[in-house]
Amino acid sequence: MRIAAATLFVVLTLQAHAAEGDKTLVLPRALKAGEIAVIEVQVGSIARGQEIHVTTASGRELGVISPFGVRSGHEAGTYPIPIPADAVVGQQLTVHLSVTGNGAEPHAPTPLQIRSVKVVIGSSSAGQTDNREKK
Amino acid sequence: MNEPNLARRRWLMGCGATLLAAQMPFARSAPTTAKYRRYNVASVEGQKALKSYAAGVQAMMNLPATDPRNWFRNAFVHLMDCPHGNWWFYVWHRGYLGFVERTIRDLSGDKSFALPYWDWTQSPQIPDAMFDGVLTPTGSAFEKYTGNLAVFTSFAKQPLSDYWATLSAAQKAQLAARGYNQFDNLWNDVTGLDPKSGDGVSGNVAFATTCGSRYLSRDNPKLDPKTAYDVSPFVITSGLVLPTDFYNPQIYLSFTSSKTPSHNTAPSTTTKFSLLEALPHNKVHNAIGGVGAIDPGPYGNMVNFLSPVDPIFFLHHSNIDRLWDVWTRRQQHLGLPILPSGDDLKTFSNEAFLFFVDNGRYVTDGKAGDYTSTAVFDYDYEPGFGEALIDAPGGLMAKAAAASIQGLAKGNTGSLRADTSQIEQHLASPESRPLTVSLTVTRPQESSTAREFDVLLNAPPGVTQVSADSPYYAGTVAFFGPPMRGMAMLMDSTFVVPLPKRREAFATVQGAAKQEVNIRIVPSQGKDAHALTLKGLSLSTP
Repeated sequence: MRIAAATLFVVLTLQAHAAEGDKTLVLPRALKAGEIAVIEVQVGSIARGQEIHVTTASGRELGVISPFGVRSGHEAGTYPIPIPADAVVGQQLTVHLSVTGNGAEPHAPTPLQIRSVKVVIGSSSAGQTDNREKK
Repeated sequence: MNEPNLARRRWLMGCGATLLAAQMPFARSAPTTAKYRRYNVASVEGQKALKSYAAGVQAMMNLPATDPRNWFRNAFVHLMDCPHGNWWFYVWHRGYLGFVERTIRDLSGDKSFALPYWDWTQSPQIPDAMFDGVLTPTGSAFEKYTGNLAVFTSFAKQPLSDYWATLSAAQKAQLAARGYNQFDNLWNDVTGLDPKSGDGVSGNVAFATTCGSRYLSRDNPKLDPKTAYDVSPFVITSGLVLPTDFYNPQIYLSFTSSKTPSHNTAPSTTTKFSLLEALPHNKVHNAIGGVGAIDPGPYGNMVNFLSPVDPIFFLHHSNIDRLWDVWTRRQQHLGLPILPSGDDLKTFSNEAFLFFVDNGRYVTDGKAGDYTSTAVFDYDYEPGFGEALIDAPGGLMAKAAAASIQGLAKGNTGSLRADTSQIEQHLASPESRPLTVSLTVTRPQESSTAREFDVLLNAPPGVTQVSADSPYYAGTVAFFGPPMRGMAMLMDSTFVVPLPKRREAFATVQGAAKQEVNIRIVPSQGKDAHALTLKGLSLSTP
């Protein structure tokens, strides 16, 4: 009971503090042992030197998307980022994306800079995957 | 999926035996004993290889720019032909590295030379020797070539233009697919000129002046924390164990990036990057070149397509190639495919690679399928991070992601040394997975009445008993039932205890890179103070 209450509190806290650049994603089901969530970030057109910094809502590092080899003006493509299992609360995951670099303060991406973010479930045991996706 | 289909078999039967061995999706990728071994640069052998590498780089720099083996001409092979964001990324770079390795073997005089690799997961900082002599593009030896753009232009442009004039129609068609319809288009990427606006775009300048050619320095060699995360055990493990196929439209299942019409197709809105290309490959390139630190550029060499001017390029890509080899051998162990199958294999293998240079000879008839195996260059790798994943049983993510630090135990006390950064990370977020300590204890026999024991963290020597709200209280471990004297019970038990996230408990240890962590285990209610023996302990990080 106490654990359930604590979990609910965490979820409510995350929602209450949802900030610009935060995206809450819902996994198709709860993770099983040996599985991890992977988010796929479709990056649009960003300037050379700009990166997409991905953290949890609380600021825990999840990865940095740093395009390489993209022609100027072209969209940057889709990048997978693995999510530690303990960053997922229940079936929910809130990630914070910010655009960094080029001398500007980190800021929330525009819809043209981040086209979409979705979450999938991957398994470390080959062949066991859940391909269902949620936008 | 696990069985080769008929179409693939028919196609394979039309190929020679050598190709068969190299290209079968289930074939071994390397002979068991290779002629050459690529060592971890941190090893004694790796350091020896670096010396030959430096001699080879120097020799390549000394060659005139009309010689295709020239160090800078060699970098232009990458600018003109490298694939990124598509499924030829790994195989093209294997060919590129293999031929450069041969050239250095020849020019250095070290007949056993093989490129060392930089295992950034184990050591997330540029190896110190890579700041010596010609192993850094900031070195004085580079100044007469890269002192400024005019110097570089006078040195490299005309020979390159002359080479352009000799290219075949097939080569020019590939360059056109890349956007280089004429030589000036290519040179614009060197200077950063945007022909549409007529302006220079600082971030697009592939050329880097000597003094600005590498952002990280001997005084600042470490990958920044975000880059270090992108090369961390968790990320690399994910990139090795999640993909089930060489290519899969579901990108997290794919070891390679998108399937594209040609290897010259640049990343676009439809490009999906595989995890290892997306995170460690890209981020290390950009971090070394100064993305973020020296925005908006011009950046160091590693940020753009003349990145092979920086000798660290080949150590970075050697590690990327090693991870491909690790993934391949893991797939073989699991009985899973290592290459595409059917028509996909044919499409993949027949892609023409027309710009490699084999020790001075242009390789104008190469195909991707020539380089799918390490056997073509007869090398293997000294094991590095990820090797343990090849035949690891279940629970791979947890096993590989967790690092363990062993401690020393005596009586009811144990101690170990943890990285300060690990402790800070532990304390930083109440949500993150905590540091845990594994305690192996010998259960007291019938002389003891205690069954519950408190675990104390960094408690002062005089503290022998604590309440649950004490900053030193880490939990209580308990035995169920009495000890059974007549049974052959295993008397050693191991408990895993998460450490409390209370800064006060770590207050006695501050400032140093490593911190002492002391654990003491005491009877919960103060009974039998000498009754429990701590036999071993270890600290696990998330």
